[in-house]
Amino acid sequence: MVLEVKKPRPIWEILFSTHHTDIGLLYVYMSITALIIGGSLAMGIRAELFTPGTGDIIPDSNTFNRIFTVHGTNMLFFWLIPFASGIGNYLIPIMVRYKDMAWPKLNAVAFWMLPVAMALVWLGFADTTWNAYPPYSILKAPGPAAEMWIFGLKIAGISSVLGAINFIVTILKMKHPDLPLMKTSLFVWSTLVTSLMIVVAIPTFAAALIMLYTDRLGISGFFNPAMGGDPIAYQHLFWFTFHPEVYIFLIPAVGMLYELIPKFSRKPIFSYQSGVAAFVLLALVGFASWAHHMYSTGMSFTEKTVFMVGTLAAVPASAMHVFNWIATMWGGRIKFAAPMSWAVGGIVLFFYAGAGGIVNTAMPLDFLTHDSYWVVGHFHLFVAGLVTMAFIGFTYYMFPFITGRMYNERQAMIAFWLFFAGLSIVFLTQHILGLYGQPRRVFDYVPVQPLIIMNQIASVGGWMAGAGAGVFLYSIITAAFKGKPANMNDPFAIGEQYYDYTRREPHH
Amino acid sequence: MVSQSTIILLLIPLIAVFLLGIESAFAQESTGQYIAHRIEVWALFYRLMVVAFVIGAVVMGSIAYVVWRFRESHPKNRGDITTTRTGGTHR
Repeated sequence: MVLEVKKPRPIWEILFSTHHTDIGLLYVYMSITALIIGGSLAMGIRAELFTPGTGDIIPDSNTFNRIFTVHGTNMLFFWLIPFASGIGNYLIPIMVRYKDMAWPKLNAVAFWMLPVAMALVWLGFADTTWNAYPPYSILKAPGPAAEMWIFGLKIAGISSVLGAINFIVTILKMKHPDLPLMKTSLFVWSTLVTSLMIVVAIPTFAAALIMLYTDRLGISGFFNPAMGGDPIAYQHLFWFTFHPEVYIFLIPAVGMLYELIPKFSRKPIFSYQSGVAAFVLLALVGFASWAHHMYSTGMSFTEKTVFMVGTLAAVPASAMHVFNWIATMWGGRIKFAAPMSWAVGGIVLFFYAGAGGIVNTAMPLDFLTHDSYWVVGHFHLFVAGLVTMAFIGFTYYMFPFITGRMYNERQAMIAFWLFFAGLSIVFLTQHILGLYGQPRRVFDYVPVQPLIIMNQIASVGGWMAGAGAGVFLYSIITAAFKGKPANMNDPFAIGEQYYDYTRREPHH
Repeated sequence: MVSQSTIILLLIPLIAVFLLGIESAFAQESTGQYIAHRIEVWALFYRLMVVAFVIGAVVMGSIAYVVWRFRESHPKNRGDITTTRTGGTHR
């Protein structure tokens, strides 16, 4: 294992480093920053929706649209993807027994593109929604915010592809010759599968962004009905990238759970092969289900059936992971330190998310839930439930190895319970809100009692989750400076033994 | 070689979930009218919810049991710390 920041180093030494652990740390710092500032926007949204009526907290609907656009874009592209890249950078070379990533300088370039992309998105503060559907995004969305959003995502996409290529080459070509791929950690598999998906999925959206931009300039009309274009074509291009992207968010988190659960259960993984098989299955079916986001666009019954069955094919693969985790824990001697608690909480929310997803998938039922708050609750249970909880749990797990200090377990557990209970309250309530007919992305709602009560419950849950994230941030910052020195042989007292990595592979 | 546990893991979700999906795929036989048939759609929704809650109860119950029974502090689990298959080393 790794013992990284044993002695404080000057900040410039980390900023200009091309070493994989330094780049990994920079990714993690940036992504946690994005989590906190993007999460604060969500707190504002929930405050505005606490009561019906307009202008309580957010002055007008335009500002509201801008806030949830930047919230969504920021959380997906600057929290979820960079955090997975950060942990991948940190661990993949170690796990495949190579001194660094295949191309360290390219790795640094890929990282440093992200702050630029993030600045463009935040400074522009566009109102297009994170989907940027035309015709609004090409005809009405105010510039230069929309242009900044387009270029921000363009740069983030290039960064993702460069990072993914680096991961693929590092895993497949730089892996130690004595280490078969089927003996590597499942986290290595998750990173490999995710990287392959990025390379296949992102170029489609990259092309769509160029078309969107030229449409905005008025020199093309790909998606402009007045010029013979088709806005639905954009939706196909968008979802061909972003349904696989859901798995690109998900699979690294699953890989991290495969690290945490066996260690804290003090048992080997129940079935390594089924974990690998489920990763590959998810990657394949991820590309066979994009149009399930578009049932209401007038597709034929046959088309919808094909995409419905394609989507349902993801269920067995996801279920294989869940059964694998339960079977791994079964018969173990589980230590519920903070990383394990966050992991198990994530699994619970993952199951809720999957159950709701089956309803969305069934096309007749999708008409009940489409564009309603049900969908908001559903996908947040994935991205905030499983993925974010796994990421935070993994942060706590890596913390002593990176800093040499131990976080405060009590604070970590307070953060867990606030976050877990908060997420459950806000997002399960939002499912019911959707069934009551509240559309998503609304600045105001009909002032009837059920909607008011459920929105208030959701807001309280949201603030609880926000408080949990705040306690998490406080706990890691204070522990980084003042935490007790960790027992580096086995910081969690789970019977593992770790070696000092920096002594073997010095920085460059 | 695919292990027996892999086959079992593959079969359980296939039987439990995928067959239900096929049923809902063919629940609608006519085209173009399902929005008007609100009652049928809601009936399908409630049927699926019943199935989802039953499966959910089983899975959540299993997780709750595992968390309770195999926790470190359970009376039957006290004793020496066991190590992983690799003997606790990761080299």
